[in-house]
Amino acid sequence: MGESHSFRQQPDEQPNQLRLLIMLHNIGATESSKSLTIQQISEWTRMDTPELQTHLQKLIELGYAQSFRSNETDKYHLTVNGIRKVLSLYS
Amino acid sequence: MGTLTWEFPPRVVGGIARHCEGLAKALVKLNHEVYLFTLDFPGSPNYEEMDGVKVYRASTELGHPNFLTWVLMFNHFLTKRMADVVNQVDFDVMHIHDWLAAFSGISFKHYMKKPMVLTVHSTEVGRAQGLHSPDSFSINGIEWWSMYEADRVIVCSESMKNEVCGHFNLPGDKVDVIPNAIDATKYQIPVDHGAVRQRYGVGWGEKLILCVGRLVPQKGIEYFIRAIPSISRRYPEAKYIIVGEGWSRDLLEAEARATGQSRKIKFTGFASDREVIELMTSADVLVVPSIYEPFGIVALEGMATGVPVVASQVDGLAEVIEHDRTGVFVYPRSPDSIAWGIDRVLSNPDHARWLTENAKDKLHKAYSWEAVAMKTVDVYRKVVE
Repeated sequence: MGESHSFRQQPDEQPNQLRLLIMLHNIGATESSKSLTIQQISEWTRMDTPELQTHLQKLIELGYAQSFRSNETDKYHLTVNGIRKVLSLYS
Repeated sequence: MGTLTWEFPPRVVGGIARHCEGLAKALVKLNHEVYLFTLDFPGSPNYEEMDGVKVYRASTELGHPNFLTWVLMFNHFLTKRMADVVNQVDFDVMHIHDWLAAFSGISFKHYMKKPMVLTVHSTEVGRAQGLHSPDSFSINGIEWWSMYEADRVIVCSESMKNEVCGHFNLPGDKVDVIPNAIDATKYQIPVDHGAVRQRYGVGWGEKLILCVGRLVPQKGIEYFIRAIPSISRRYPEAKYIIVGEGWSRDLLEAEARATGQSRKIKFTGFASDREVIELMTSADVLVVPSIYEPFGIVALEGMATGVPVVASQVDGLAEVIEHDRTGVFVYPRSPDSIAWGIDRVLSNPDHARWLTENAKDKLHKAYSWEAVAMKTVDVYRKVVE
């Protein structure tokens, strides 16, 4: 049976959703006290807000990220499952 | 001694966390003092004692989207955390695990003028099946550098020794082979098989075929999934449980949908140790389809729970299992071979039982943490003397 090339992709070639997950981890948004606003995430990732919102919503649905409201602003951080998913790339 | 590792429970990613936990606790039982430095994890304290092991967790206060930059940053915070302790404790040796903690370990070695032991759990060239990106080349270089700096290098299998000596031109007499281990008593727990199977949607008379591992390419789970249509033709009542989390989960779920059998396939995500033991104990067969596996601790875990193990004949797995005596070997990357191996176990329950009895016997004789700790202390003695 032929090799599936999709399994040989490196992280840099991953879809934006996974890249966002990795970036959120590496910039430290790994718990509520380190959560970030859309504006802050946009500055780090250079993704525009509508695209970011779509990806973040999907990550929340999958259980890899969560959000909460603080001072009338939504803030985002990874869940434990999100952290484990990212770390699986590196070990 | 000091130990440096980027993962330690509850920060469990792969086998390194469990290895460090088992070894550290066994060293304490042999009356050694173990100070372990690792990274923080949500909900875990920045200091605690676990069965006598002093665990210090470093919080990484800075970040960067690039992985390697992030690794350099967390090594700085690991070094800082360690510096608080080395002023009060005179370590005899620093033991680091894999390249991820190498920068801290090498700094410690040179500042404190103490020996450094490195355990190589896997290599970048093996994990990625080649070096395909600038980061991969850099990691490969850090691995070489950390082996060069280490006073001695420990690997978990002869195949891993061949890999590091061949790929990095490391002299063979600098390398010690110490196999992994498990605490077999942890796997002897009362389990209500019916309740476990029901919880995962497996009815009476249905076969439970289990696969446990990180959802990453090196685990070969895609080949197991591709074997499912063939297995299902022979065992239409079989259910397939895939336990683990990882970056290729989406791709594997798509692969599962493509089999046309997706209603029989369940991805559980990350599962606790207890859940994994319950599932292994209740399963009819455990499949380990890895294409790269320096050791394969999951095979030992399966052997400890008494489930028949069907595994790829690769690397360390080839040293852990004896074909048709303690498990069944299949060809790596071969769905047909995986289906054959599963059928060999399911079609002959008496043979399967015999395999599991032999496996348990071998496990108790060869793979205890106490034995691993004693061999590791021998390595420490070599570098201290």
